[in-house]
Amino acid sequence: MRLPIAAGLATAATSITLYPLFHGGLWFWAGMGAVTVVVTVSVLTTRDGVPRWAGPPAELLALLVYLGVVFTRPDNWAWLVPTRDSVASLLDLLDQGFTDIQRYAAPVPANSPISLLTVGGIGLIAVLVDLLAVRLRRAALAGLPLLALFTVPAAVLADPIGWPVFIIGALGYLGLLAADGRERLGRWGRAVLVRQSRAAGARTQMDTGQISLNGKRIGVAAIALAVVLPALLPTLEPSPLFGFGVGSGNGRGGNTITIPDPIANLRGQLIQPRDFTVLTYTNNDGVPRYLRVYSLDTFDGERWTMSQPKGRPEDRVSLGPMPPPPGLTEQVPVKQVRTEVRVNDDVEGLSFLPLPYPSTTVEIDGDWRADRGTLMVFSTRDTAGGQSYTVTGQDPQPAYDDLRALPSATDPRFDARYLDLPPDLPPMIRGMARDVTADAGSPYEAAVRLQSWFTGGDFLYSLQTQGNGNQALADFLRNRTGYCEQFAAAMAVMARVLGIPARVSIGYTGGSYADGAWQVRTHDLHAWPELYFPGAGWLRFEPTPAGGLGQATARVPDYSRPPVTGPTGDTPSAGPSEDPATSDPTGDPAATRRDPRDPDAEGLAGTQEPAAGTSPALTIAAGVGVLLLIGLIPAVWRAALRHRRRRAWMRAGATGPAGAHTAAADARPAARLGMAVHASWQELTDTLYDLGLGYEPSETPRALARRLVAQCGLEGEAAASITAIAAAEERMRYARTPGAVGALDGDLRRVRDTLRGQAPRGRRLRATLLPPSTLRRLRGAGEKVLDTFDLLETLRPWPARRRGSAEPVDPERRADGPVLTGSRR
Amino acid sequence: MGITHDVGQELEGLVATAHRIREAIESVIEGKDDVVRLTLTVLLAEGHLLIEDVPGVGKTMLAKALARSIDCPVRRVQFTPDLLPSDITGVSAFNQQSREFEFKPGPIFASIVVGDEINRASPKTQSALLECMEEHQVTVDGVTYPLETPFMVIATQNPIEMEGTYPLPEAQRDRFTARIAMGYPGPAAELEMLDVHGAASPLDKLEPVATTAEVKALIDAVRAVYVSQAVKKYAVDLVAATRESPDLRLGASPRATLHLVRAARAHAAMSGRDYVIPDDLQDLAVPVLAHRLLPSLEAQGRRRRPEHVLAELVRRVPVPESRERGVDGAGPDR
Repeated sequence: MRLPIAAGLATAATSITLYPLFHGGLWFWAGMGAVTVVVTVSVLTTRDGVPRWAGPPAELLALLVYLGVVFTRPDNWAWLVPTRDSVASLLDLLDQGFTDIQRYAAPVPANSPISLLTVGGIGLIAVLVDLLAVRLRRAALAGLPLLALFTVPAAVLADPIGWPVFIIGALGYLGLLAADGRERLGRWGRAVLVRQSRAAGARTQMDTGQISLNGKRIGVAAIALAVVLPALLPTLEPSPLFGFGVGSGNGRGGNTITIPDPIANLRGQLIQPRDFTVLTYTNNDGVPRYLRVYSLDTFDGERWTMSQPKGRPEDRVSLGPMPPPPGLTEQVPVKQVRTEVRVNDDVEGLSFLPLPYPSTTVEIDGDWRADRGTLMVFSTRDTAGGQSYTVTGQDPQPAYDDLRALPSATDPRFDARYLDLPPDLPPMIRGMARDVTADAGSPYEAAVRLQSWFTGGDFLYSLQTQGNGNQALADFLRNRTGYCEQFAAAMAVMARVLGIPARVSIGYTGGSYADGAWQVRTHDLHAWPELYFPGAGWLRFEPTPAGGLGQATARVPDYSRPPVTGPTGDTPSAGPSEDPATSDPTGDPAATRRDPRDPDAEGLAGTQEPAAGTSPALTIAAGVGVLLLIGLIPAVWRAALRHRRRRAWMRAGATGPAGAHTAAADARPAARLGMAVHASWQELTDTLYDLGLGYEPSETPRALARRLVAQCGLEGEAAASITAIAAAEERMRYARTPGAVGALDGDLRRVRDTLRGQAPRGRRLRATLLPPSTLRRLRGAGEKVLDTFDLLETLRPWPARRRGSAEPVDPERRADGPVLTGSRR
Repeated sequence: MGITHDVGQELEGLVATAHRIREAIESVIEGKDDVVRLTLTVLLAEGHLLIEDVPGVGKTMLAKALARSIDCPVRRVQFTPDLLPSDITGVSAFNQQSREFEFKPGPIFASIVVGDEINRASPKTQSALLECMEEHQVTVDGVTYPLETPFMVIATQNPIEMEGTYPLPEAQRDRFTARIAMGYPGPAAELEMLDVHGAASPLDKLEPVATTAEVKALIDAVRAVYVSQAVKKYAVDLVAATRESPDLRLGASPRATLHLVRAARAHAAMSGRDYVIPDDLQDLAVPVLAHRLLPSLEAQGRRRRPEHVLAELVRRVPVPESRERGVDGAGPDR
């Protein structure tokens, strides 16, 4: 009875961790329903007379019926009995659920297909846990399915699982283990002698209370350690040994971040009838600037997507300037721009900041991190909605002619992903790219050609098109109708064909000026290509037609406008036979020399180098150091305590030699004297404890002195000293007046030295380095915490049942518990 | 030791007197140092003593020796099944000459009453002792007569003899401050006893070494012995532990706590201390508490006697550490 319920509770507790994966919580209650159904059937089938094997099939059947009732009720017969139709539609829903799961990133909407998938999954886990824990009595193994459930959010979500949720899940599992242990122990049998004491009666089960209390303490301690220890050891976080969370620099493992499909969003936002203000910004030069949100670097032939951004802890924007913009050198004049952005409160789920590119610093609250390659700023915890932040940036202001003179070669070390094209790219696109730029003298000219080809009037702006895959692009180039998505994607793809690193940015255009600030609205959502030129870095281009017939607020960057003279054609080709599409491996080596701090060598390919080179050894050394320091804490604490106790005598005003019972003692304030005597006494007992001589809480000072004298064969002065300390302490504790007491620190030192001299060396060493008395104090502190947890034990929703006994069971248990020595020994 | 240097004159007198009495008794009872000391403790604590042991170990001798060594009225009652309550308390008899009822005091009107083989009397007679022992007074025919001071009942009983005995009820056992067992003497003591007791009873030669007034003064001095709050708390803890021990069916009563502390005062005074320490309580726990406890059946099955349980409790109940918190704040939690 207890075990099935514990199994169900464990499943329920663990499924709470799924919460952040979904919008809305209806799935959760449905899942709880599934667990309840499984538990009910399990309880019913664990009764006597029901064959053992019957449980799991019955649970599965009940689960099926439950799913039918919840999800395909209309198809059921009498709403309850599944029919062929209902099973079929259940399967359909499942199928759809799988597709949906593929399509959405977390948090996903909890529609019926996905809910069905989740609820069914929870139900199956519940059945599995029940099978392992209840039928096979392998409660520990039942942790595996629970762990599987637990890993889902851990793998999908960028955020580590919150500790409260972890605690709930862990408690669920512990509860299952405890229930199992209790039943197991309960079957061991009872003592042969029938107990007829006050709590007597027919107690058919062993009293497992004390054992389970211990078990609970261990469990609680384990959870507390699991939660607290990582927090105490922050130095381990960035170590590449542990690739958890976004924090690690190596980009593998659970580095997922919630990425909505930006492209898919784009059109939806643009065609939305409601056009509300997304953000407002002001800057120091009054020039509108594009605000980039996402940078898509991957084109797989289907669509443009973003590879996982890497936000290393040291790239937190709060820590200082952002990583340098890749490729931008001093040769390009820049303009310092300071922009203050305020994102509307209604913006939801935006975990990337809209920023002008390139930014150097971002001042914002929260854990926002910059991706080195793209300078995207994102957060796994906070969202941009309602945030205000200040950005300073360097707006590159290259002159057209300077850019035209840039070398054609790209750095061979440059990240190849910006040049990747799918193998099945329609040849037509390649051809068209080359045709349009046939007479361009440099990569930059080719880029300008492409841009003016798109904006020249041949292309029509229309939101009626869709997609940015191979086929969609081919259609777009053929029909010459599309919107920013196709324009940007097409230009980026064509630039890549020409060997120019390219990516697609999604963000907002500069918006329109109103009420003293630039207002950026939903309809300003935009996509544009960014092309990379060595020496100048990533530059924005604008192939989408602007104005009333295009993207209203799109602006062609100044540097991409050819001078009025129309330099096209005048410029001789740098290499007539050279195909710009193939990146020249023998290209100007000056390019590399001129830009030694090539961004991507450092920012992308080299990201791991500094970390990997210094971090592990340093981290391990630091970790060992920290551990050593932690290990020394008891020793230091002990020494401090001894010092403080010695000082108690100074405060009490005793300076005389040991054993000098001075009359002036009476003049000392009694309280201080008492404290000093007690300090000496405690020092003595702690020393005894440290040296393994023991000290029982029920031992009186007199008895202790007697025992020590006998046990250690103390003689003469040492025996007199210990007797003096004991007598002083005794009088201090119990007598009406403390009487005349001399300074005891000399006595104490003598006793201590004698005892230490007698102890074996190992014990002396331990007494110095890891004094058991201090460890016991630490333990005592820990147990106090545990005692608090034990109070939870007394909180019961219903009064404890009495098993055939007129007296409650509790008083008896109390008898060997706190009344005597408590838990602190 | 450095402990007795502050003890007042009064206490020194007490120690000396107690020592005299002890020596007197020990001249009769050989090798029973602790028993004699305990007997004196009970006397000074204004309590009553139950001596329980097998026949022939000198129970009655001890009682008589104590009685003799103090110059005070002593009466001895041999309890038999046909003994009546009035045989103890006394009767109102009609005086032919004065034509009115006259109270004839029974043997209870003495400073030391030796009740021999108390468990042979009927419960009715035993209960006649109740009022006397607790309230130091006797009520006969509605008239209450106060008893002597000091007043002490020393009862002996035989544990193994079952036939024709009425075991003392719990209520009555509870009224005895302490129960002691004599135990067999050691071989040397027994040898010496042969020499001493062979010719004539040494009891006859015993002269009183203390007067009633002296004993009264001693009792007053004992009352003045200081018991700190911490020690009182310790006594309560000890007694409470007996009530909650699973090995005991019946724990010690609040009266037991009272007796324990009172006896501890006497114990401390006899050691020449004017304050009680937990050691006093620990030493007295078994004699003062054990006879009031009933072991649970389970403990009985394991042959655990209340004495064993008590000894274990004494080992487990922590002694009070201080009256105020220590320097490092870790005072009481040990």
